[in-house]
Amino acid sequence: MLKNVLIANRGEIACRIIRTLKEMGIASTAVYHFADRGAPHVAAADHAIELTALVPTAAYLDTAQLLAAARTAGADAIHPGYGFLAENAVFAAAVEAAGLVFIGPQPEVIRLMGDKILAREFAVAQGLPVAPSCQQDGTLAEFVAQASAIGFPLLIKAAAGGGGKGMSIVRSAEELPARASTASSEALRYFADGRVYAERYIERPRHIEVQIFGDGQGHVVHLFERECSVQRRFQKIIEESPAPNLPVALRDRICAAAVQLAAAAGYRNAGTVEFILAPDGEFYFLEMNTRLQVEHPVTEFVTGLDLVELQLRLAGGEACTLQQRDIAQTGHAFECRICAEQPEHDFRPATGRVAILEPPQGPGVRFDGGLRVGLPVTAAFDSMLAKLITHAPTRAESAARMRAALAELVLLGVDHNVDYLGRIFAHPEFLAGRLHTGFVVEQAEQLVAEPLTPAVRAAVLLAAVLGTDEFSRLAYECPEPHASIGHWRN
Amino acid sequence: MPTLLTLDGTTSEVDIIGRRPQLNLRVDDLHCRVEELPSGGASPCDITINGQRHRVWRAREGDRIHVHLDGRSYSVGYQEAVRAAAQSGHASNEIRAEMPGMVVELRAALGDDVAAGDPLLVIESMKMQITVTAPRAGVIESIHVEPNTSFQKGTLLVLLRAVVE
Amino acid sequence: MARIQSSLNPGSAEFRRNYLASQARVAHFHAQQDAARHVRPARDVERLAKQGKLLPRERLERLLDPGTPFLELSSLAANMAYGGESPGASSITGIGVVSGREVMLHADDSSIKGGAWYPHTIKKIVRCLDIALENRLPVVHLCDSAGGFLPLQSALFPDKQMAGRIFRNQSLLSKLGVKQLSLVFGHCTAGGAYIPALSDYAVIVRGTGAVFLAGPPLVKAATGEIVTVDELGGCDLHTQISGSCDYPAASEVEALAIGREIVAQWERTPKTPCQRDAVEAPYYDPDELHGIIPDDIKRGFDMREVIARLVDGSRFHEYQPAYGTTLVCGYANLWGYKIGILANNGVLFNDSALKGAHFIELCNQNGTPLVFLQNITGYMVGREYEARGITKDGAKMIMAQSCSRVPKFTVMCHGSFGAGNYGMCGRAFDARFLFSWPNHQIGVMGGEQAARTLAEVKTRQLEREGLALDPSLIEGVYQDTLKAYQEQLSAYYATSELWDDGIIDPLDTRNALGVTLSAAQNAPLGDEGYGVFRF
Repeated sequence: MLKNVLIANRGEIACRIIRTLKEMGIASTAVYHFADRGAPHVAAADHAIELTALVPTAAYLDTAQLLAAARTAGADAIHPGYGFLAENAVFAAAVEAAGLVFIGPQPEVIRLMGDKILAREFAVAQGLPVAPSCQQDGTLAEFVAQASAIGFPLLIKAAAGGGGKGMSIVRSAEELPARASTASSEALRYFADGRVYAERYIERPRHIEVQIFGDGQGHVVHLFERECSVQRRFQKIIEESPAPNLPVALRDRICAAAVQLAAAAGYRNAGTVEFILAPDGEFYFLEMNTRLQVEHPVTEFVTGLDLVELQLRLAGGEACTLQQRDIAQTGHAFECRICAEQPEHDFRPATGRVAILEPPQGPGVRFDGGLRVGLPVTAAFDSMLAKLITHAPTRAESAARMRAALAELVLLGVDHNVDYLGRIFAHPEFLAGRLHTGFVVEQAEQLVAEPLTPAVRAAVLLAAVLGTDEFSRLAYECPEPHASIGHWRN
Repeated sequence: MPTLLTLDGTTSEVDIIGRRPQLNLRVDDLHCRVEELPSGGASPCDITINGQRHRVWRAREGDRIHVHLDGRSYSVGYQEAVRAAAQSGHASNEIRAEMPGMVVELRAALGDDVAAGDPLLVIESMKMQITVTAPRAGVIESIHVEPNTSFQKGTLLVLLRAVVE
Repeated sequence: MARIQSSLNPGSAEFRRNYLASQARVAHFHAQQDAARHVRPARDVERLAKQGKLLPRERLERLLDPGTPFLELSSLAANMAYGGESPGASSITGIGVVSGREVMLHADDSSIKGGAWYPHTIKKIVRCLDIALENRLPVVHLCDSAGGFLPLQSALFPDKQMAGRIFRNQSLLSKLGVKQLSLVFGHCTAGGAYIPALSDYAVIVRGTGAVFLAGPPLVKAATGEIVTVDELGGCDLHTQISGSCDYPAASEVEALAIGREIVAQWERTPKTPCQRDAVEAPYYDPDELHGIIPDDIKRGFDMREVIARLVDGSRFHEYQPAYGTTLVCGYANLWGYKIGILANNGVLFNDSALKGAHFIELCNQNGTPLVFLQNITGYMVGREYEARGITKDGAKMIMAQSCSRVPKFTVMCHGSFGAGNYGMCGRAFDARFLFSWPNHQIGVMGGEQAARTLAEVKTRQLEREGLALDPSLIEGVYQDTLKAYQEQLSAYYATSELWDDGIIDPLDTRNALGVTLSAAQNAPLGDEGYGVFRF
């Protein structure tokens, strides 16, 4: 049993992990950069230790400071959350070398799955289908030549990372060199590894992933699939489980492939195997994410399991008794990622300060956020603010619940995508479950807000202006009888 | 003098027509009878406009008022009269960030003479690098950001002063 | 309080005749007003536009709170002076609401000869500041004047009530803690420079605003120094170096916005407590006032019918309804304010004068503002009435009225002749505000009366001198006198000379009294006590 876990992360995932730690009676240690000093994860944790860095994100990437903080706090384990150092094998190894438990897979597994080429080769060796691809192992020019040989369209991304950073679709040889160069420089900046990777881009693909959990001894179970096809700028914004319109037999084959891969790797802890599902029903191994995913709550809803609890028990030395037959998929869950952005301006990130927050409530509604009123929303971190998750017996009911919950959520002080998400949940194609990763781009026109009627526009403007000090004084602090006389000229 | 507000890229006028027996406001061409218990800007509150009742939350952030009305969020541009009047039709010395981002590189230095269109600094926003240029000729009076630091929308980046003849 | 039972018959021929005549009079008045406000030589309007200036009334409209009243005062001042060269006496004054505060507004009208001050301009500005003093109203000055109109300097500079009085009043206002703001849009030259200097706050527009004791031509003549307007007294000089002005503004619009924000900082001083009830519109249609006002200055009418169309709910508590019936006295509410009304229903007799004096004392004791509705031909003359002491009874009324501690308001509803004007709070008796209806006539006696009197005097003179009585000569005297009187008796002449605070449409009387009753509550009540009543 762990006694004190340091969370090498921030925001909603840090709050999420602390919640389970509290439930399990394990002490929590938060770390934070000065810019995050008022963040809820700092207040929620039992201990909080400041990390220093010029750029806020760098603080959460500083292995030496994190290990020092763990020593100071007396932590016996580190949970990396997602992002930052979650899939950094060097960090995982350093944690273990420091005598601490890394709550995640073995460093060598992280390294294996973190390297696109090695991971693919490993997958091929296990009999998993993969799309043709290549990874930079020499100069950028050599990479461009190899990539061109695969044929177009191509998907280019960082060899070392995920999350859509530095990802782009290249449709012709002419644009390849420049795009490869951009991707490389972004990869260097986000993942400290400038190598890039290209693979054949499949048109109208679906993104299906399988949540797995292994004990590191070869015992692996899956917690069913998630559909993550609704993406903007290559980042998921809506995830669900089960995947709609996915034949059970196909679903079982995909899940089995994921289990096979993880078992072969001797995978420990929670992980996700991602697949591309082509319109013809063929699926290809995409990559494996060796961490807890942002979208893990949908799996928690349909399986009734607490993934963080599973992670902590395993890391604390308990044997994994979870058997595949014990795991059922019940009902339908959706997750929406609430992001600080302007959907009407190409999802440009937005900044501000949380002024009002009223999360929706009710059965089958879960709101995971690291927010509080007064919290600044800056460009220093990822634009995701919170996640809204719903669960109901059927997909239609769960979607209706999500729509209601999105309308009920009041989050003011920064522009966000809540209304945009609401429009997706009203879109017939979405409701019919006819999804692919290009959905958002393809349906862009249908997803634009309808122009406001003059009455609604007036209501919004009046609500806004009557809330201002200057105008409300003008409207309400008029002396009598002048207010009663009104506009009058003699 | 009507108050100007922007929403979805267009500007509307709001003017007070009367206050009794109800507040009577004009939004462009639409007359609105408003019943509201003055809330001092608190949220939520109920506003009834032409008989239609709305539940409203609102929050001010700089020149924007965020409004949640009937299950949807809106962002309304607003400035106090003095600020709106000060900015009408005057070429500003202030170069401010149009979107949040990070400074990649400074291209101009303190005291530099710059012409309209000269690059001042390179920023990164939305994973894109953008060069910020001088809106008019002038001398760099002060630079308010450093490379590798992030900034918010509206942050003062560079201050110009007029070229002395 | 019971409603007045109107006995007016809107179906009668008399009503129709009165109505049409009154409508025509009021239409003529509004046409005169429109001309005085808006008819300007094109070159003056173009010049202002070229300077990037707003018209004075555009400035005012931007300064005032939307959806609020503006009571303009003396809109036809100087309408019969200078051959009509100075419409509105080249200035605009009035009471309005700025940032939720009642303020007095004074704006130079730069669309007339650069806003130069004529003698009547001075009179209008002094009266405006007198009102501010009497009612403790904060003042916003919208300055844009070329200075005194030099050809008429002797009529505007030296005397007690002339230009210096403006600055004396400004100083006294400040001493009383009444705030003043100047918005300098154009030039403030010579004496005019003291307006911003004596204000608590001054905003000046860069490029067009300037403040100096002497403009560049005078400076050159005096010392040989050659300077530009901006160097001598522009925005940056005064806001950065001299400190004569406080806020620089890049445009007129910005100056107005800054001005509104300055006023918004002012404390809201508590008003003098007075009885105020819920407001009720008059029960009888005020439009019927047109049918009440006779087309003939000699014809009488029941002033209760007027009261019924001015006051809340047409309700009136009549005091001594059966005694001294030529003076109607009683309480009513107007825009909720409790008022005491004295209204003429004929010539003043001994009993009516005593009733008036008594009622004024009651209102003073009660703290009730007094409203005088004048239609008066005077106190009754003749041996019998002199013997009964009509003079000393009239004196009692004048004493009680003059020494009143409550604010007084006078409306010239029709004729105002002779000593009745005094008892009924004419201009000399410091009514806080005095308004006239377009049909109003004022003089020591009526035109026909005067013509008859002078014709009679002429006849006596000819008889004394033993000269032949030439009927055409007598008729000439009669007609000449009548003509001269008719011109000088008219409301237009009175308002031109600022004997009132403006002609108003009778239908605007209720609002004008509402705004001014409210304004008056900003000042404390006067001292109690009277002089010696002759009993």
